[in-house]
Amino acid sequence: MSMVKLVNVRKSFGDLEVLKGVNLEVSQGEVVCIIGASGSGKSTLLRCLNHLERISDGEIYIEDVLSDKRAKNKDLMKIDPVTVQSLCADLGMVFQSFNLFPHLTVIDNVTIAPLIVKKIDKKIAETRALDLLSMVGLSEKKDEYPSRLSGGQQQRVAIARALAMDPKIMMFDEPTSALDPELVGEVLATMRHLAEKGMTMLIVTHEIGFAREVADRVIFMDGGVICEEGTPEEVLLNPKEERTKSFLNKIL
Amino acid sequence: MLNEIQLWAIVNGTIITLEIAIVAIIFGAIFGVVVALGRLSKNKAANTLSWFYIWFFRGTPMLLQLFIIYYAIPIIYLDATGSTFNVNPMIAAFAAFSLNATAYLAEIIRAAIESIDGGQMEASKALGMSYRQAMTKIIIPQTYKRLVAPLGNELIMLLKDTSLVSTIALFDLLRTTKTMASATGSWIYYIYAAAIYLFLTTIIQVVFDKMEKKLGIYER
Repeated sequence: MSMVKLVNVRKSFGDLEVLKGVNLEVSQGEVVCIIGASGSGKSTLLRCLNHLERISDGEIYIEDVLSDKRAKNKDLMKIDPVTVQSLCADLGMVFQSFNLFPHLTVIDNVTIAPLIVKKIDKKIAETRALDLLSMVGLSEKKDEYPSRLSGGQQQRVAIARALAMDPKIMMFDEPTSALDPELVGEVLATMRHLAEKGMTMLIVTHEIGFAREVADRVIFMDGGVICEEGTPEEVLLNPKEERTKSFLNKIL
Repeated sequence: MLNEIQLWAIVNGTIITLEIAIVAIIFGAIFGVVVALGRLSKNKAANTLSWFYIWFFRGTPMLLQLFIIYYAIPIIYLDATGSTFNVNPMIAAFAAFSLNATAYLAEIIRAAIESIDGGQMEASKALGMSYRQAMTKIIIPQTYKRLVAPLGNELIMLLKDTSLVSTIALFDLLRTTKTMASATGSWIYYIYAAAIYLFLTTIIQVVFDKMEKKLGIYER
């Protein structure tokens, strides 16, 4: 089954075209890493998937259900907010800047969405949250506020928060870019654990070593299009495209 | 010194002053949220309506608004229906001050909501929350701490501005003491008034400082 499918997706901000016709399909259990220079459209791609940005042209399918279809910034399908919300709830998102809710404790950050969106029982939500927090190694921090945690810990809470909604796909938007170097490892370890458990993952990252190790497929984006894609060996070790080679040379 | 009648007159004046300020701040805060959300709304009608509301109540003198409610409305009513109708001055004061405070507080609340990092709304949406859920559970609660200081400021302004109600036959603190000063020729009553205003504003200042610290508990 295809979990996410983009057909000829374009996205413009005013005159600036950020995505220039992207086609991508991600199957269940697949770990896809997207690399590329800043401004190449990687983050925009993720943000279009869960409607944080609306595409200008093209189609998006989530689990084979059409979730967005537009042409020239006009809707070609009826966008029912409730349906879109529930489709997007299947997409967990982890942000570069964590975006934890600062006024809520760690455990409340994890339980709030299940409580108010899925309306599940508080006891059940808390039990599940504690499981997730222990999975990311932070159960002893459950009553702290986010401001008392390190960046790496905050990002792990953010991962637990996204997982609490039982997403079918996890999207990571440069999850380690805002972290001090010594804190990157703990977040990558958590993500590796998720990948091993068979989670479908779509990861925008600059961590080439990590991509080589966990990705089933690596996508190199440049100038709003997918420039090259393939297994980590193909794209990262033996790139065919000149642009991929020069990008990898710059960052390695 | 004060005799018993004067003392009670001053107490009653102080109560009127306090009542108007407190009613206005409470109504203003509640309706201020509504008007602020209107200003932030993508709905054209809600947006325009709240824009005009703020435009009118911030753009005209408080005293004029008080006159419209207390003097003009009964005349308009008389012209329209032919029957008379009197506005209770206390109700007129509550209404005018509440409507006016709403306009100022709406702008304060709107600015506070806009000052919350955009990532908070994005994270809420990414977790499947509706706009309403994100606003009530995530965004607005984070504005409380930022609202305390301007809210205290507004309450202090209101407390002093209530002296305008002397124009609609209400004996607030200032008018009470002024009457005594004119009747006796003594300036000491102005000192009493100043002392009471300062006493009240000091309490507001101390309480709001405490509240601000308490609501900021989640910040490092």
